[in-house]
Amino acid sequence: MKLLFDLPEADQKALDAVRPPEEKTMYCLPFNIYEDRFVDGYMVFTGRHIYKLLEGELLASYSLENACDFKTEVMYGSCGFYGKFDGATVLLCQFVSGRNLPRYSVMVKAMEILTEDKDVTPVTDRTVERFCPKCGRPYIKNSSICPYCMDKKEVYRKLFAMTKGLRLLMMVPFFVSLFGIVCGFIVPKIQAIAVDKYITATDGADKNGFLLIVLSIIVIDLIQRALGVFRNRCAAIAGGKFTLVLKNLLYEKIQSLSIASISRRSTGDLMGRVNNDTGTMQGFIIGQLPDLFYQVVAFIVALIVMLIMSPIMSLFVFVPIPLTIFLVSKLWKTVETRNRKSWVLNTRTGRLLQDILNGIRVVKCFGQEEREITRFKESSVRASCQDESNAKLFDTIFPLIGFAIRFGSYLILLYGNYKLFQGEMTVGALHQFNSYANIIYGPLLWVTFIPRNISNFLTSASKVFEILEEEPEVRDIGLPIDIRIEGDIHVKNVTFGYETYLPVLKNVTADIKQGEMIGIVGHSGSGKTTLINLIMRLYDPNEGEIVIDDVNIKDISQEALRSQIGVVLQETLLFSGTIRENICYAKPNATDEEVIEAAKTANAHDFIMSLPEGYNTLVGEKGYSLSGGERQRIAIARAVIHNPRILILDEATAALDTETEKLIQDALNKLAKNRTTLAIAHRLSTLRNADRLLVLDKGRLAEFGTHQELLDRKGIYYKLVMAQRKMAMAAKELDA
Amino acid sequence: MADTEKNAEVKPAAKPEKEKKDILDEIDDGDLILQNERESVPLTPENAVFTRSAGGLISLSLKKEDGTTEEFERVVILRAFPVTNPDEFLSVREGDGRQNERGHEIGMVRRMSDFDEETGKLFLEELDRRYFTPIILKITGVKEKFGFSYWDAQTTAGNVTFILNNPFNNIRVLDDGRVYINDLDGNSFLIPDAKKLDPYSYRKIEVYL
Repeated sequence: MKLLFDLPEADQKALDAVRPPEEKTMYCLPFNIYEDRFVDGYMVFTGRHIYKLLEGELLASYSLENACDFKTEVMYGSCGFYGKFDGATVLLCQFVSGRNLPRYSVMVKAMEILTEDKDVTPVTDRTVERFCPKCGRPYIKNSSICPYCMDKKEVYRKLFAMTKGLRLLMMVPFFVSLFGIVCGFIVPKIQAIAVDKYITATDGADKNGFLLIVLSIIVIDLIQRALGVFRNRCAAIAGGKFTLVLKNLLYEKIQSLSIASISRRSTGDLMGRVNNDTGTMQGFIIGQLPDLFYQVVAFIVALIVMLIMSPIMSLFVFVPIPLTIFLVSKLWKTVETRNRKSWVLNTRTGRLLQDILNGIRVVKCFGQEEREITRFKESSVRASCQDESNAKLFDTIFPLIGFAIRFGSYLILLYGNYKLFQGEMTVGALHQFNSYANIIYGPLLWVTFIPRNISNFLTSASKVFEILEEEPEVRDIGLPIDIRIEGDIHVKNVTFGYETYLPVLKNVTADIKQGEMIGIVGHSGSGKTTLINLIMRLYDPNEGEIVIDDVNIKDISQEALRSQIGVVLQETLLFSGTIRENICYAKPNATDEEVIEAAKTANAHDFIMSLPEGYNTLVGEKGYSLSGGERQRIAIARAVIHNPRILILDEATAALDTETEKLIQDALNKLAKNRTTLAIAHRLSTLRNADRLLVLDKGRLAEFGTHQELLDRKGIYYKLVMAQRKMAMAAKELDA
Repeated sequence: MADTEKNAEVKPAAKPEKEKKDILDEIDDGDLILQNERESVPLTPENAVFTRSAGGLISLSLKKEDGTTEEFERVVILRAFPVTNPDEFLSVREGDGRQNERGHEIGMVRRMSDFDEETGKLFLEELDRRYFTPIILKITGVKEKFGFSYWDAQTTAGNVTFILNNPFNNIRVLDDGRVYINDLDGNSFLIPDAKKLDPYSYRKIEVYL
């Protein structure tokens, strides 16, 4: 991320006037709101001062001597950068969030390092920009592609490389198109001969010759259609294959990406890339590209032929063209906006309907049926009014455009007939010429769509390539080790943040012995889940290392590591399939015996047997719906089946009632035996079973020890237990 | 809950070892309470004095029920209903939350007019800065490019070009006819009444209303 912007000359002068020469500019960031106006100002950070500059004027300077507590605050429509100087909080500058919030957040960290650690090495940051650094335009959503600056040739080149093996098949539509063009020009010529030689001929005509002409027209037509079928089939096969290759490549790649890069994107976005973007690419390569080729060639050929036949009449053809192109491009915008508006209104109505039907219980419980009916009516009336007005407008516009296009033909007819009467042109030739004129109009109507089609295609293609070319962040080293994990975990000075400048964990060190059960306690946002994510190596720490059995986890192959860690999450996701399939998700080749064993350990066997189809009962979206506790126990069985050496429970028992919780707790206790277990928990019952408790506070390791030790210490944990106790006692009193 | 904390700290000091062992048996199993909030109090001119802080922001000195005074070097003021009721229900919060943490609520101001004019000005100054929403006076051009729409406009805060990625979603019309526009950069703009714009501007925005 860019943290050192160029200062405008006037500002530089103002800065030089006050800045001691030995102070070097470390960072320079823009700010853009000052006294309720949009401005272009700059904040200059040297090791000792912060200078605020606007239009060649020094607005303020702050000494870092007694400064602390730098922070950014997200406000409404903008953000503020604050700092505390000599005990007084000051708003240093205000800026629009999108482009600059990440920069100033880095600055918070940078100022901390400067003021607290007195370290003057400038910080750097790897966060991806959302705006093109070259032109300032926004990138395509969730990508680093600037549609304006991207290398289009590069995209074409990569695309061409991908068509390997399909090229011959893909060329077919082009050749067939060429033949189509030839036919398109021969037929009017034959028709002209028919008219001149036979139809309008006054003397006794040769019937055989006429039959021959009719026959040849029919044959050409037949061939053309047969080739059309051939062409479409080839296109379908080539297109299907191309998309298949692309989709599979993309999906494989997505699976191999780290959680970090996947969670940066939404599921919808990834699905869109796999489904829609590949579709757009297919449509363009197989459909639009050959068409484009056809239209361009047809246009040029028709133009040449017409010029040869009659230059003056060709001129008439072009009279309405500028007008038509202008009209079409102008009107198309209106048509599109209106269509889009009606689409939006219709989706809104649809969403409303879905909302209400989903919440029908709530609606009925609160007796709001009448209101919902009115709401739906209003929405659907708006949508239908829009549709109606669109239809009215379009039905007027399109005939008008048609007339404008045809206008040239009328001129040709007029002039042609004049020539005809003078005997300078035959009826057949006139007809032929008119046919060619019609060929020209086709491509013309196309012109306005071409840029959009190409740009859509390029956007889709570059989005797909972006994923295909992404380097996985968490990856195995050259020769990863497959070890048999015993379960000693050492977390050594680990610092980590999802954004490098916002550490979620700060210098955490903990030694966990094999077979221990560790309870992890802390407020939300204190880094509990993050710590677990790091131990599972879904992310790599920014600083420090995690060592399992004396091996840095970066050296253990990801497969070996994860296959020996079992996870039970609070939100249990069961895939559509049978219970058996869900249990042996992590070990597809498990025997029936193992499956039952795992289910028994998880206290799930009994309820599974009460289901109509036992272990073969379908669950998931279309199947049998299980209660939260039942799903949880299946998840536990899933974690247990491959006998993991390390077990991770992420609030596995929250959100369950006490009875179910006891069952699950019992299952978990069985599970935790002889395994290193890390449990994030709020329930005292879970925590009581833990050998030691690890208390996190704002990303730092606050306390680490047995339950009793922590109570004796009277620290954070003690306070939490006391608060809980007081609540429980109050509840008891109430009951009494 | 502030009480809870206090009691918790006092009691065990008085009663030693023995009780601790029994602690867990007394408690029904339940979740640990992971919050540690202060109790929000209504703020009135009687118990709260707002002044301009040394850094140009707002300081608060709060008289508590027990007669003591608590000083806050800087407080943050937020609107509960920034769109529909900007002058009532202001939440006054601690300003010293660390990075990306909202401070705890100290209390709420029911009505801005409860306080004197001076304080009202102080509030408004802070709120106007926090809810920075320039009013669009004129739309001078709209261009559609590469899937984004670029809008040129004259606003009360100067001329701007803002970018929308989907005008149909980014432009929000309220029941009373006000139009809010949220752009890609996080700016907010307001059109108090679109119908009162000049014809050119209105034509540009009409389709999205």
